[in-house]
Amino acid sequence: MPAKVSQKKNPKRNPLGKVFAGNIGALAVGLKYFFDPNRITLLYPHEYIKLNKGYRGFIVLIKEKCISCSSCARICPAAAMRMLSVKVYNEKLKKYMIKKYPVINYNRCIFCGLCVDVCPTEALYHVPYHDIVYENMNDMILSLEDFQKEPENIEFKEGIPVKYYFDERRGLVKTPYMEELEKRNEKEEKNQKVEGEGEKGAS
Amino acid sequence: MNPCYYACYIVYKVIVYDIIFYPPVYQFLIIPGLITAIIIAIFIIWFERKAAAYVQMRYGPWEIAPKIGGATQLLADLTRYAMQEIITPQTVDTLQYLLAPIVMVVLALLPLEAVPLTSVKPYFPIPSGYSLLVAVAFTTLSPLFITMMGWASNNKFSITGSVRESFMITSYELISVLGLLTAAAMTRSYDLVKIVNLQMSGKWLGLINPIALFVVFIAVLMSTSGFPFEIPESESELVAGPFTEYSGLLYGLNMGGAYIRRWVFSILITLVFLGGWAPYRPTPGVITGYLIPSLIVSLKAVVIMGIMSFLRSVYGRYRLDQALGIAWEILIPLALLAFGIGLAEAYFGII
Repeated sequence: MPAKVSQKKNPKRNPLGKVFAGNIGALAVGLKYFFDPNRITLLYPHEYIKLNKGYRGFIVLIKEKCISCSSCARICPAAAMRMLSVKVYNEKLKKYMIKKYPVINYNRCIFCGLCVDVCPTEALYHVPYHDIVYENMNDMILSLEDFQKEPENIEFKEGIPVKYYFDERRGLVKTPYMEELEKRNEKEEKNQKVEGEGEKGAS
Repeated sequence: MNPCYYACYIVYKVIVYDIIFYPPVYQFLIIPGLITAIIIAIFIIWFERKAAAYVQMRYGPWEIAPKIGGATQLLADLTRYAMQEIITPQTVDTLQYLLAPIVMVVLALLPLEAVPLTSVKPYFPIPSGYSLLVAVAFTTLSPLFITMMGWASNNKFSITGSVRESFMITSYELISVLGLLTAAAMTRSYDLVKIVNLQMSGKWLGLINPIALFVVFIAVLMSTSGFPFEIPESESELVAGPFTEYSGLLYGLNMGGAYIRRWVFSILITLVFLGGWAPYRPTPGVITGYLIPSLIVSLKAVVIMGIMSFLRSVYGRYRLDQALGIAWEILIPLALLAFGIGLAEAYFGII
């Protein structure tokens, strides 16, 4: 049996209904949100959106996995990634050899993630954030040492992680991401314990 | 008695009774007047922004003082306006340009001089049997100077804005005057003290004749160009309407002037329709006879101001022709209807 098609009665059809239904409906919605606010603004430095693992943020190199195939540098559409020749001591042959490692220039990078996809040994990976400030353009050309570290994100330390979801009744809703907060609290407790023990040992 | 103590006592008496509680000074400058009006304007602007933010899923002013909801934001803004340079362009009519906003604010406060805030005899600023008529007449003075501002500024935006202002004033002042004078028809008196005393039994004129209250409410909202209905100084079409050329403290006066006009109208509405100092009966004495009734009236007026500024977040803007259409096609017939209802109620002795 097909679903019945029914048309809702529209109170706004006659002029009097238009005046009353429109105004009172608008006032009711306004009052509802005034007494039960549903605020979705992201207070940016104090809160941040916890992004998923697949998010294409900053790129980090794991040097031990790199086989110097240089396919990342070749596939880069913006020519942001270049290979750097480094002298490395080879323990098997017992002599210094020249090996190539990728370095990145964030002036040019478009965060397309092709280098991460193409890497045969998964030596490159993304971190799930992209909001970092550099003081000048030269700092954005990373050295090999900097390229191996995960860039520091200050909001992760101070801000509250937040996630958005769609509620059936209230629409878009913002809530703090509790799991992440708990994880961070555990870490802090551990750190404090370690510090406390260290102090005890010192004294 | 110690002579120094005695001198201090005399000075205290002179300051308190002859300066602060001298009715014309008290009502023009202190409780419903300038100082309170500025504090109320600051509070209401903050409340307006906060309420609009709540309804539109935002936070509003927050960052400057998170614990009290950013309430000190307006003080910062006010300081900024006060420190800004007052620029006088070469092409303006200097005397009118500088005088108009000041005269506007002073005249906007003038109706408070005619309004009695207590039923005790020595505390009337202007003892008169026609206080409602005088107050309503005074409220129509200050909008003229907004028109003058636009003319003196010698600027296309200003002149368009001031022409719009004069359109709005001619239609909406008429409605508010008609609506407020309905009270005179209902109570057969122009005396505000008599009108308030008649409402002492709980029969507020706003409850007996709600159409008049509704009409006056909308007329005040429109004629003082509150935020959603800021047709004269519409920011998206004209830069700031009649206030385009103003900067610094003079611009602050203009922005405050609209709120002061609205404040004066809400005090009038309180006295006429919402019972004034109604549940309280003033007794002789400065505090019980003058301070407390004026505080009650101010509190009721603040509630009216709050409702008016809440409407900002719900309604959209009207075009000039739509606003004038509402005025002449709907509100003036409604005002006449309210006047007729008031006359009928007076005739059948409901009041």
